[in-house]
Amino acid sequence: MTRVNLTVNGRAREIDVETSKLLVHAIREDLGLTGTHVGCLTGDCGACTVRVDGATVKSCSVLAVGAEGADLTTIEGLAGEDGLHPVQRAFWDEFGFQCGYCLPGMLLTACELLEDDPDPDDDAIVEAINGNLCRCTGYAAIVRSIRCAADRMKDTP
Amino acid sequence: MITQNFAYHAPTDLEGVVAALAGHDAVIVGGGTMVVPDLTHGRTSADVVVDLSRAGLSGITRAGDTVVVGATTTYTRLLRDGGEQVPPLRRIAGGITGGPQIRNRGTVGGSACYANPSSEVPAVLVALGAELRLVSAAGVREVAAADFFTGAFTTARRPDEVLAALVLPGPAGPFGYHKLKLAESSWPIATAACVRLPGGGLRLALGGVAATPLPVHLESDDPGHVRAEVGRVLTEPWSDVLADGDYRRRVAPVAALRAVRELRATEESRGIREPRSAQEGEPR
Repeated sequence: MTRVNLTVNGRAREIDVETSKLLVHAIREDLGLTGTHVGCLTGDCGACTVRVDGATVKSCSVLAVGAEGADLTTIEGLAGEDGLHPVQRAFWDEFGFQCGYCLPGMLLTACELLEDDPDPDDDAIVEAINGNLCRCTGYAAIVRSIRCAADRMKDTP
Repeated sequence: MITQNFAYHAPTDLEGVVAALAGHDAVIVGGGTMVVPDLTHGRTSADVVVDLSRAGLSGITRAGDTVVVGATTTYTRLLRDGGEQVPPLRRIAGGITGGPQIRNRGTVGGSACYANPSSEVPAVLVALGAELRLVSAAGVREVAAADFFTGAFTTARRPDEVLAALVLPGPAGPFGYHKLKLAESSWPIATAACVRLPGGGLRLALGGVAATPLPVHLESDDPGHVRAEVGRVLTEPWSDVLADGDYRRRVAPVAALRAVRELRATEESRGIREPRSAQEGEPR
């Protein structure tokens, strides 16, 4: 076992993992945060998306031991004390998800997009989520939700 | 999950990487986007994994008349930080398959060493005339991109060597590129990259259509000549689930023509070349 120190959603955590353990499994099994989903384990589907030092990554393609010292944000870290994050709220209001399996990845990817580009057009939104697969194929509602979140967030100082 | 445990090293400098590789047939992880899933699915196995992410091999610097791109420079870094010195690599960085998560993690050196026939980086390196800087306990050697890619998923890198950097000739002149892919989240079927050579003619490299990038020397950008030369070098087209060899044989000349046409258009817009005369015609 190897000791790994992380900051997880703002809190210092330490876990002991085998070198072979994927970050997605460490998040679910050792950190107990099951909002991060296991999908394809090939890096294609994006269900395991988390943010490592601010950058979205597919946590099935990262070794947990490689995350030593990382600042990790999972879907559980998105909502604040006063409720849902604006991107979550927009997905809720616009019916932006069906089964919900891809949702954590979609939300974290959308957050990164809106930090980089607060007013993306639909092409930029589609491009940003092309590493997140929705097997319900509800992409139109997802794009609409991200558009809604962008409109609301730019109106909020 | 990965069923096999391994010794894991994340050296903090190049010397440490070289030491960790010596005497082992180690798996090297750059960004992990391809190698880690391979470990998960048992497509590769490892006793030793050497992670380059802390070894200080990321970044883009000028050195004399070359631009040195560190092996673990991510696609996102190319888009944000210094990538303007290597416009062709920045160009492909924006269109890498797999979304921002893959751009944030995937590295140009990793793509080169993985040598997937469908990857964009290898053929671009061949077209640019890049050299790959390999470091081992025995020393440093630089291998021309055209000699580096020896087969599908195989390269001239020895197990004790690490790719430290890509060395690109500078300054970057006009560049022509075309990528054919049939779905946003899918791999390219064919790519073509080309530059004009100082002594005349063009160096074009096809990607995705054969086991290795195919260099094509063109005397001119005449469409008939481009088609003929592509047909001549593409003797063993690559087949996979996305497209069979016959399809790739048909689309490769089109990708090449479009890359050449883009190069020409860039040259014309910068006033380097006169607009094409009516007699020459447009590439089909």
